Amino acid sequence: MRSLAQAALAGLSLAVAAPSVQAGAEPFDVVASFSIIGDFAREVGGDRIRLTTLVGPNGDAHVYEPRPADAAAMTKARVVLVNGLQFEGFLDRLIEASGTTAAVVEVSKGAHILPVDGEAHDHHADEDKAADHHHDEASDEDGHAEKDHAGHDHGAYDPHAWQSVENAERYVKNIAEAFCLTDRDGCATYQENAAAYIGQLQTLDADIKTAIGELPQDKRTIITSHDAFGYFEHEYGLHFLAPKGLSTEADASAADIAALIRQVREERASAIFVENITNPRLAEQIAAETGLQLGGALYSDALSDKDGPAATYIDLMRHNLTTITSAIAGS
Amino acid sequence: MAIRFHRSMILACAATFFGCPASAEQIEAWRVFVADHSEPVVRAIDLRDGDEIERFALTGAARLHRSQSGRMVYAVQRDANRVQMIGTGIALGDHGDHGDITIGAPRLLKATLAGQKPVHLVERDGMAAAFFDDEGIARLVAEHAALEGTGEPQEIASRAPHHGVAIPFGVHMLMTRPHPSDPGALPVGLDLFGPDGAPAIDYAPCPDLHGEAQSGNLVALACETGLLVVAPGQARPEIRHLPYAAGLPEGKTTKLVGGTGLRYFLGNFAPRVLVLIDPMQEQENFRLVELPTRAVDFASHPAKPRFALAFTEDGHLHRIDVVAGRIDRSVRLTGLYSMDGHWSDPRPRIAVAGPRIVVSDPLAGQLHVVDTETFETMGSIAVAGEPFSIVAVGGAGETH
Ligand SMILES: [Zn+2]
Ligand SMILES: [Zn+2]
Repeated sequence: MRSLAQAALAGLSLAVAAPSVQAGAEPFDVVASFSIIGDFAREVGGDRIRLTTLVGPNGDAHVYEPRPADAAAMTKARVVLVNGLQFEGFLDRLIEASGTTAAVVEVSKGAHILPVDGEAHDHHADEDKAADHHHDEASDEDGHAEKDHAGHDHGAYDPHAWQSVENAERYVKNIAEAFCLTDRDGCATYQENAAAYIGQLQTLDADIKTAIGELPQDKRTIITSHDAFGYFEHEYGLHFLAPKGLSTEADASAADIAALIRQVREERASAIFVENITNPRLAEQIAAETGLQLGGALYSDALSDKDGPAATYIDLMRHNLTTITSAIAGS
Repeated sequence: MAIRFHRSMILACAATFFGCPASAEQIEAWRVFVADHSEPVVRAIDLRDGDEIERFALTGAARLHRSQSGRMVYAVQRDANRVQMIGTGIALGDHGDHGDITIGAPRLLKATLAGQKPVHLVERDGMAAAFFDDEGIARLVAEHAALEGTGEPQEIASRAPHHGVAIPFGVHMLMTRPHPSDPGALPVGLDLFGPDGAPAIDYAPCPDLHGEAQSGNLVALACETGLLVVAPGQARPEIRHLPYAAGLPEGKTTKLVGGTGLRYFLGNFAPRVLVLIDPMQEQENFRLVELPTRAVDFASHPAKPRFALAFTEDGHLHRIDVVAGRIDRSVRLTGLYSMDGHWSDPRPRIAVAGPRIVVSDPLAGQLHVVDTETFETMGSIAVAGEPFSIVAVGGAGETH
């Protein structure tokens, strides 16, 4: 009979078992909290890791409910990669339920982090070690909520830091560092993989800056379902409005929606987009009331499935860019 | 009421367990509500000291359900043809970085659901639905309306009287479809009713439907062939049939409980076998857990997501590790309770009150208290009569 953990891995479509390994090195188990971090981990770890991603393609980590198989994967893991910044609301419960002794690494550490009021801040910049950080609720003592959206606090910082490609580079470096601490023999490989991937990210970053730079200034306001694009806005100069706050957890109130519709009219928004992780009905309703064209689906907090347009992080950013620029061009 | 606690229970107070102020404002309170097996009485007991806070005279003997918020206890009186409601007096508010707690006296509310033979009651997101078997009608009440004494209960009728269940699901309603010719038979499937009260055209077949539970945003119902799993969908709930895995031995589930903190379902399957179900996994959805003797009651463990609880005929409470899929610890609490005899005979029931697990022992007139952390027995609370159905409410928070 197969062990539970094997069964858990076999049952997860996302579990990637490395078929072949470099001489003598047994791959070690890594858990990534959601698909975008899973993609980075695969780029950096390659065949040397056995990866389980908890929140899969098109999944919403804000409201994810972990399963016993997730706890089993956590128990087995040597490294657990999470975004942090209260993105994974399920994390503390899952860490407790699993009793994992793995290093829980917040890969957003050291990235350029935006507080909810819009001012930049270097997340944990005072700590120079990115890896080997065991999750500790008390570490966010300054996490006092500034924005109380729809009656629920979600911390002081916007967690969607990967929407800036420069931050994604920091994520990748942190992952390489975490793998190096766990597997010294593979360190050179992780550093090489990370460097090669960061090269691709730099090209991506430049391409986004060029494409957005060409958009007319008065057409740069667009609408999404929830506040997932603060970093994109900050980094590349678009203006995003959303009826829902930083988390998808709370429903937008009628007053929120009415205020947004007013804002759409006043600020002459160019397009409205649905998100892959949220119900499209809210965006459709706002489109109907304002006469805005639905500009397609943006991938905010999760990759698409394998055959979709955003199967990797780079595809995701390129898909969002094309979707936004063509909707604005057509408006 | 006599109370007998071990020393450790008293000492627990010094370690800032329930009721003992940890700071000027941070307090913790837990109450259990206990219904007698055959007398029309419900007692509210403060778990801090085992004292009876209040005693409510009902119309008939009741089975208790608590609301998800913990502000309300529903007393389903099958033979007295009504559901009465008790405000627990404890309200918790979640404010992200801290929680609030408001503590008042428990009280019997004016709101009542009356009708012929209510048995199954399900509360979800502040809406309760009681199904009245002899009428084939579900009656709904909103928790806040009942607490405030406003609003009239709504009704939705199924096709015929039967032993059914109704489950509020957002603006939709799930309700069992009766057997077409035999009113004594179990339901044959599930109908979905829209916000306008009209049933959708299609229905989900589920032969011999009995047993329902919630875990996270999912609802599951047990059938002879497997489970119906209901998940929120884009326009309306999505209902999917999850068949029992091919390799499973003979058995079926007729009672389900849902995990809290971890998303799973736990059901009975064979006399000495429970089944752990992960409805979202593509393989190995069903894992069997063997018990030493037949199960008397089982429950999820809201205070420890990794574990579930089961009480067996041999008087033991077992802690089930739902990740490993096996019993992790056991503790002897009562004398023997045979599952032979009538299904409604007085037998122990489990409730979890945060740091304490409480098991009723109707034949001994006791509530046994087990420490959540150590899984050791801490003492017992004597209760007159036959303490049977129990629920626990409470938590920690700041008082303003
Ligand atoms: Zn988000
Ligand atoms: Zn029944």
